[in-house]
Amino acid sequence: MNLLESEVGLMIEKIVDAIDIETTLLCKDEEDAKNTAVQYLKSLGFNDVDVVFVEHNGFAARIRLRAYVFRPGDRYAWIFGGDAR
Amino acid sequence: MKFVLFPLDPVHDVALKMLNRELLKRGHQTILLPPDTKMEEVIEICQKEMPDFIMVSRTVGYGAAELLARFIDMLDAAGLRKKCKVVVGGKAITKELAAELGYDAGFGERTSWEEVIAYVEGGRFEREEITVKKTKKDITQGYTYEVRDSAFRELLDEISDQILAWAKDRTSLAIERTKIKEKMLEGEDLLEEYLKLCDEVVVSYFRKNVLPKKVRLITKEEKEKFERLVNRIDFNERILRHSLDKPLVFVQYGTGCPFMDAMHIKVSEAWGADGVLHFDPSWGARCEGLLEGLLAHEEDGSIITLENLKLIKSALNSSTLWCVRAHRGLNTPETVLLAARAGADLTKINMVYGSLNGGTDPERLTVDGVYALQLSARYKLPYDIPTNEELGGVPAHKAFAGMLVVAHLGVKLGARPILKPLFCYSPDVMINDYMKDNYVDYNVAKVLALRRIMDAPIWPGEPIGFMTHTEDRVQSAMTTALHAALASSLGLDAITIASTDEAYARGAITVSARIDTLRAVAEAFRFFGRARIEPTKKAEEYAENIVNGIYETLKKVAERQDFVAALYEGLFGTREEGANPGRAGRGTVRKC
Repeated sequence: MNLLESEVGLMIEKIVDAIDIETTLLCKDEEDAKNTAVQYLKSLGFNDVDVVFVEHNGFAARIRLRAYVFRPGDRYAWIFGGDAR
Repeated sequence: MKFVLFPLDPVHDVALKMLNRELLKRGHQTILLPPDTKMEEVIEICQKEMPDFIMVSRTVGYGAAELLARFIDMLDAAGLRKKCKVVVGGKAITKELAAELGYDAGFGERTSWEEVIAYVEGGRFEREEITVKKTKKDITQGYTYEVRDSAFRELLDEISDQILAWAKDRTSLAIERTKIKEKMLEGEDLLEEYLKLCDEVVVSYFRKNVLPKKVRLITKEEKEKFERLVNRIDFNERILRHSLDKPLVFVQYGTGCPFMDAMHIKVSEAWGADGVLHFDPSWGARCEGLLEGLLAHEEDGSIITLENLKLIKSALNSSTLWCVRAHRGLNTPETVLLAARAGADLTKINMVYGSLNGGTDPERLTVDGVYALQLSARYKLPYDIPTNEELGGVPAHKAFAGMLVVAHLGVKLGARPILKPLFCYSPDVMINDYMKDNYVDYNVAKVLALRRIMDAPIWPGEPIGFMTHTEDRVQSAMTTALHAALASSLGLDAITIASTDEAYARGAITVSARIDTLRAVAEAFRFFGRARIEPTKKAEEYAENIVNGIYETLKKVAERQDFVAALYEGLFGTREEGANPGRAGRGTVRKC
């Protein structure tokens, strides 16, 4: 589709709404997994973050993290260009 | 031409076998070597046979580049490199890698054998672009709405006639507003008349430009930029079904923002959705009157205005079916009117669910519902009848009795209903252990029961698999896909599917979560094709119970001779069962 190729260079501006990261963490419990994950996302510069799903089993946690880049009602970069960020 | 085919791989040689078959068919001479043949042996064979082409395949990615480089060096050292063309293919291969290593050609994943044949025979290969052209379907086509059993027909006739007689000399603020709005849409300036029938929040919006909380106006500039974006979106349409024409697959939207909605719709269409359903905010159902203009909302549910609906419509593919939910609140008939004027294909009306679990007063929603059904008939807008009161705990047979009344009533008024049983793990199911063994039997029973009573389209929702989803993306996609497969197996007309964010309540649904389930459903349709899911004998037993339960419910309602009183008094579901007659609009019905 080559959508917005000319106007938007950065990946973050092409994201429709959110970035999800799935991984498995070695950790003692779900809380440990959540705290580590949220801290990590915030260290990447994301503020609107959440743990969508976590499943701990003894020593490891399967976890899905989410960082919203655009929420409904925001000024989306995919419509308004880079200045919307 | 002569070919040596060499799988440079411990086990994988399927692609070379297929290529070998085609080469033989075309009269070429081939020597197909087994996997795990030593490179030295291959060199010896090539020196002896002097093929025109040495075809190498490599599936396993690990160490591919090193092995392929070594092989080409060995061919070079043996003097074969200049005498034979050397071609490499397989999952681990890219054209760039092949060229870098000195191969004459490289073919990666998803290469067709025709492409390889064209290369070796020096012909032209033109990739066949398969373009799918979807067309909009009428879900109600071919159904007679005949009530198959005279005992049911008599009861449904009696109840419907009583409702129509009752509603005949009654009206409401919503009905009067709808009549005014129709004239306004024809160009008459009746805003002041309209506002006299609205709540303060709507009046303030029009008279003082005060927006409701968390609502903002969309600017002209935003709209223009959005239109430019939508006009540039282009994709190949995709059909999710594999061998069958049904079910059509719908997704729900209602992010609050029409732009985000439109992007969710475009992504869903691109991944194969056949239709979309518009969901409005819950507060909209409790407010007399509708706003106007392009409005974004920061919370769930996209505000119903003609302008918002037209914006959504402008983003839809011509084949996409579009349903606008009308049935829940104080603006039911007006929503049907706007949906029709905006070009919707379907709407959603169920006075029973809307008043027992949607928060609207039963008397008010009955009179509004009848008028909405008349509009549905006038604008040829089929309506679906959801039975989500099951989620509150109402047993399926009571919810279905209500659905059948609303269906039969609509048919009498000239409209075309669609039955919408839930495929769900409802409280009633949990309490009674109907799904202790499997999720199949009770859902099948619901469909068997409805088919025994009425010849009508069936569209399970909303969404299928309700209360079986978790926040686990894989589980959520899987349960949706399996319920979709069951609907397909039953030959149902349509389904509404959730995203994999169905059970995630702390944030907005993402487009990726929509793609998850659309992909999973496509895979389920591919897996089952025309094959059927076989229920156990329990399904028949459950179906019989549901049919009997519907009959008993209808009988009691008919004997009560007052549909509205039946709603208040719990004949379609008691308070203990989770049916709570709504309060919004209570006392607003008047005689006319």
